[in-house]
Amino acid sequence: MNIEFPYKIALSFPGDLEYIPSIRKFISEVLQVSNFSTKFAYRSEIIVDEISNNAVNYGCRDENASVNLECLIYEDHIEFDIRDQGGSKEHIDRLHSAIKAEPEDTISNKGLGIEIVRMLSESMDINIDDQNLTSVHIIRKREES
Amino acid sequence: MHQKDLAIEINDVPGSNGALIINFRGELSSLCISRISGTFDTIDYSTIKFVIADMSNVTLVSSAALGEFMGGRKRLVESGGDLVFASLQIDLRSKLNMMGANKIFRFYNDTRSAVNAFRWEYEKHHEHLHLSFPPFLKLVPPIRSLVSRVAKQKGYSNRDSFRIETIIDEVCNNAIEHGLEGANKSIDLKMTINPAQVEFTVTSVSDPEKMQALKAMIKSDEHDLSKLRSDEKRGRGLALIKMLSNELTVDCNESGTSVHVKKLREE
Amino acid sequence: MESQIELLYEDIPGRSNARLIRFVGDLDATNVQSVLEKLNSLFSEGFTRLVADFRKLRYVNSAGLGILLYFTKTVREKGGSFKIANVCENVYEIIEIIGATSLLEIYDELNEAIAELN
Repeated sequence: MNIEFPYKIALSFPGDLEYIPSIRKFISEVLQVSNFSTKFAYRSEIIVDEISNNAVNYGCRDENASVNLECLIYEDHIEFDIRDQGGSKEHIDRLHSAIKAEPEDTISNKGLGIEIVRMLSESMDINIDDQNLTSVHIIRKREES
Repeated sequence: MHQKDLAIEINDVPGSNGALIINFRGELSSLCISRISGTFDTIDYSTIKFVIADMSNVTLVSSAALGEFMGGRKRLVESGGDLVFASLQIDLRSKLNMMGANKIFRFYNDTRSAVNAFRWEYEKHHEHLHLSFPPFLKLVPPIRSLVSRVAKQKGYSNRDSFRIETIIDEVCNNAIEHGLEGANKSIDLKMTINPAQVEFTVTSVSDPEKMQALKAMIKSDEHDLSKLRSDEKRGRGLALIKMLSNELTVDCNESGTSVHVKKLREE
Repeated sequence: MESQIELLYEDIPGRSNARLIRFVGDLDATNVQSVLEKLNSLFSEGFTRLVADFRKLRYVNSAGLGILLYFTKTVREKGGSFKIANVCENVYEIIEIIGATSLLEIYDELNEAIAELN
């Protein structure tokens, strides 16, 4: 069956940084077989890497925690939705701090990943609920070739 | 001279037996040697195999203190265990490397990674990856690359990872090519991996007749690919999976067809 | 296990305190610590003038950029230098996005970076 848009890929992986390289490369390859350019795929790989790193670092309080990533692939854009299973108060405070960090605050690395994602996306929405569960929704449009 | 507020706290690893996290806070100077060695003396080495030294709040490690850690590690290693460092600050990590500590100790970026390493190596913990995707053949190469990379990352050899990649390729191709026409439902891939084996369950909505034929093929003893007819592409794929794996079963029910494969680690 | 990255070292003719480091692979959160350790080791061994060839560095994320910025700042404070050359378009774009082009010493060509060692 040929690729038909839109379609969805859903992934759940352990809350461990070592999985992220495989996950981001997978997403990049999926986008390339879906006729997105290599440049688009590379930038999307960066987005997936950064949001996954944040989900693991800030949102995996328990050792058994996993991260859920959904990719909705349309002909003209893609959407990422990533959810973690809850961070500690300390981690959530750090995440809030990273979200608010100024773009110039590069030396300390605070908020660098979020800033990169913001610059590469059409929209980015971060929601942290009262259970300290974080979800991030990102939309990225296909670039003109 | 006085000790600079060294605090030591010992915690169990939640949900695990046989491992401890020791949180150090302050300076591990030569004045604290007795406290550090005293801490290691309190460990029951008959039950504790793995100690994670959480160094996130440590600002100094003297060579004498490092010596105490080496002593603690030696006692653990003698019973097949280990002592590792987690969450070292960048400057401190560099200084420990200059002391040669990286040749003896493993360093982890955080305690979670260290705990995961313990659970993987000592508790043979299962890790799960779950993927849901539409029945598009073009997606199979990225999927098999993903599975192969995960296997390699978990320490499986190139050879084993390649075999795993071949298995998943064949199973996914089968699920797509023999799916029920018009069903257009997602295919589910569940991967469970531990140090000894990897298991896959691929669930899809399939044509019931084709699934009965598949079950019959799986039950057959025919493993010799050369004896298959040239048009028996599916037979070749199945024969390949059977040869590369240790267990292959098919289960048909209302939710669909599940192909389950188990492959033991060989190298 | 870490993402694949390799650092290949070469002497720079005529400069005993300089070293060329060729980065090969991906620099991300799984390997930044070990890369930083290697860079720090080189500096401590007396190679205070370091040149990085990024021709085969395919990928860098915020963690990777973080240690590049940190290392650049650290060596400068100690009187050394860390120059980067042959940055591919994709990696350069990420450096540009975070506004780090002026914070890192980036050269188009490797021979330019080496010439500037003087």
